[in-house]
Amino acid sequence: MKLTFSLALGGIPIGAMYALQALGIVIVYKTSKVFNFASGAIGLACAYFGSTLHAHGIPSLPAVLLTIVLGVAIGVLMELTVRPVKGALTGTIVTLGWLLVLTGGVGWVYGTQVATNEPVRLLSDKQAFDVGGVLVYSYQQLGLLVIAGALAAGLALFFRLSGLGTATRAVSEAPDAARLLGIQVDRVNLVAWGLGGAVSGLAGVLVAPLLGGLNTTALIILTVQALAAALVGRLSSLPMTFAGGVVLGMLQPVVHRALASFSGLKGTDELTAFIVVLVALLFMRRSGRKDVVSGGLVPVPIRALPTGRLAALSFAGVALGALLLPILLGDRGNLSRYNLTQVAVWGTATLSLVLLVGVVGQVSVCQAVFMGCGAYGTGIALAHGLPFLLAGIAGALLAAAVAALVGLPAIRLEPLELAIATLSLSFTADRFLYSWPPLASDDGKREVVRPGFAGVDPGHVAAGNRAYAWLALGVFIVACFAVASLRRGRTGAALTALRSSEPATAAMGFSVVSVKLRGFAASGFLAGLAGALYAGLVQGASGAPFDFTRSITLLAYAVIIGVGSVPGAFFGGLVLTLTTVDFGATSDVANGQVVSLTTLFTGALLIGVLTLSPDGVAGAVGRLRLRRGPATSPAEVFA
Amino acid sequence: MSAALELRDIGVRFGAFDAVDGVSLTVNAGEVVGLIGPNGAGKTVTFNVVTGLQPATRGRVLLGGTDVTRAPAHARTAMGLARTFQVVQLFAGMTVLENLMVAAHRHTHAGVLVDALRLPGRRRALATAEERGRAVLSFLELPHLADVEVTTLPVGQARLVELARALCLTPSVLLLDEPASGLDPAETADFVALLAHVRATLGCAMLLVEHDMGVVMPLCDHVVVMDFGTVLASGPPLEVREDAKVRAAYLGEEVA
Repeated sequence: MKLTFSLALGGIPIGAMYALQALGIVIVYKTSKVFNFASGAIGLACAYFGSTLHAHGIPSLPAVLLTIVLGVAIGVLMELTVRPVKGALTGTIVTLGWLLVLTGGVGWVYGTQVATNEPVRLLSDKQAFDVGGVLVYSYQQLGLLVIAGALAAGLALFFRLSGLGTATRAVSEAPDAARLLGIQVDRVNLVAWGLGGAVSGLAGVLVAPLLGGLNTTALIILTVQALAAALVGRLSSLPMTFAGGVVLGMLQPVVHRALASFSGLKGTDELTAFIVVLVALLFMRRSGRKDVVSGGLVPVPIRALPTGRLAALSFAGVALGALLLPILLGDRGNLSRYNLTQVAVWGTATLSLVLLVGVVGQVSVCQAVFMGCGAYGTGIALAHGLPFLLAGIAGALLAAAVAALVGLPAIRLEPLELAIATLSLSFTADRFLYSWPPLASDDGKREVVRPGFAGVDPGHVAAGNRAYAWLALGVFIVACFAVASLRRGRTGAALTALRSSEPATAAMGFSVVSVKLRGFAASGFLAGLAGALYAGLVQGASGAPFDFTRSITLLAYAVIIGVGSVPGAFFGGLVLTLTTVDFGATSDVANGQVVSLTTLFTGALLIGVLTLSPDGVAGAVGRLRLRRGPATSPAEVFA
Repeated sequence: MSAALELRDIGVRFGAFDAVDGVSLTVNAGEVVGLIGPNGAGKTVTFNVVTGLQPATRGRVLLGGTDVTRAPAHARTAMGLARTFQVVQLFAGMTVLENLMVAAHRHTHAGVLVDALRLPGRRRALATAEERGRAVLSFLELPHLADVEVTTLPVGQARLVELARALCLTPSVLLLDEPASGLDPAETADFVALLAHVRATLGCAMLLVEHDMGVVMPLCDHVVVMDFGTVLASGPPLEVREDAKVRAAYLGEEVA
């Protein structure tokens, strides 16, 4: 009991940091209704910037103040890119682009190996006091707690008393009416984003020493804790957000200890946060008329399937692309076959998102998790003696089941909330699922042999077996036709109808729950199939290829290329394969700088496409725009 | 023989407020019943209880003699209930025919696998649905609209298409939520004539919520007037129109 108590109290300072990070999210959301997924990434950038300043001999306090300036600058820049975008959900996807840009940028500048940089410390980590061994805080912890608490209270007071607080509420409730009343909406938004960026940045700088040094992944994954705290505060109350962060901080060490008896269980902290996120989301049910359109993504107009000559032409195009690829991507040997297989794998993965975003109308930021389930599931099925092809299908079925499970809360959630839930799942999978013994075995890796296909040293370029490449390509082509057929068939009709109006679809005799779940399961199945093929290609399943960056990247390219386009999936596969190709000097590759540059580029492309050309490549973005039903004028769903 | 639709003592309570308090009504097979009342009388809530979007706090809903009080909306559709919406809710991004086919799929069976892998049942399902959709369009004399994208339709035509979509379900009871709202007098008259035609030809029972007396009077066999969540009066249209309590509720006249 005493130990539990002590553990819980020890978690308060880190909980205060979660809260600070969450405050950055809430301040932005309160005004713009955009969810800043890049909050953790701002903290990351500021923490690294602070360490550089410190290394150049700038004392701690001015260094921290300068990092806050950087935070403001990033926040302001983000506002400028979110402003031209219509709809809160699309704006939120822009922040995902920023997450990629900032992580990629930091990785490019500093390398992704565990940094030698020392985080800037405001206070010493000497012990401040010790109350009977139960309450032991260092000066550092104590200081952070005070700073975070004071900031939360100060900001809450500021929002309540100042004119900005009222203006913020007006802007978020009815931007057009606010504009008519003479409130400078853009300026209010700018101030909120700047303030949010400052708070997020400060949180990153302050928390870095508590995490025992600068660690890119750890700082980014902090986002899931911040999400949990922000949701506890219902995305509006600053004091409740603070309380949420602190309680989460207290809960985590206790849960960790309670689960310690299960050996090999890692990532319980993220698991705890994820569960808090889910529970909070399900409690955030809103009231309102039940026969009004639920809103969401605007349905993709379904054009007639290309038939006759057009079908032949597009098929020829794909085939030609497939033949050209080996030439594009290296010599005609193993490497090109390896890359060709990869195109099929990532193409199938993109296709699963085409189905989910383009047809079901839901945004998933955890598609790589479904791939991971497919990969591990294949490994497990192989271990039980199934032949490779059946094992792959078994893996895909596991992924479909997981996807249906993820889709279950989606029945109640708005698309933005589902994005929050799925991103949290991506973070949690990295830390928890991919090292969970029943799934991933003890060391997080599973062998995936592929009997029937030349088994060679995993990782060797010879893994690019010709027969295997044909298998993967065949699966991809069948999947393309399956998605196109599904879309034009009975289920596709129901799914498209569902996006327009849930009550009307139910009135047509379709069960909303069942239709949505079928859509999720089908998408998960495809992603799982892609994961199984990938595992077969590299002859092993592990979590690394399916981390949160991959999930975001998948969504990014699905959006950039066109969420409604089946042939677009092929180009998605092509581009995603290109992102996995290493180039440049070997030392840069080893240092992770090449990968970081690709991530940076992907993020910038996503922001650029969404901001500059709202019609997007293949009109993708137009489909992401939020509108209400057909009878009313375009209006934001989250208004 | 049991009624096509029957409400028994329906009550819906929001917090401490009784939105609907003890409403009973019966729609016999082939009969048209109008549900009228001033704004806030509880008409729409009652309507939503019938469709299954709003759970009733008490009372029972019977469809063709079967208790459907706890059945979800889609299950009621399968039992012969069809509806239109006050604010037209056609499926955007689809053509008129595609909209109708979503409804017509009530009569088809094809699962995800059949659809995705083009297994034998798929073609038959699509053909059946299309045939049904086209048949209803020609019945309503709208075949020229088949390939029009629904968001481009003016309100008057959108209402017709929504009616067509509901008819694709082959309903035994058709629920119409303010079918004349947003229509001009000429369009309203056409719509009334069309509903009369539908009723004469298909013989399905109808329950309509409506403000416009020009719709209610010529169409309804029976009118139920609601106010403050309760039934104020009930009977043939002409009788109800002369009812003093109804006049008071509608026109603010003093009850003599």
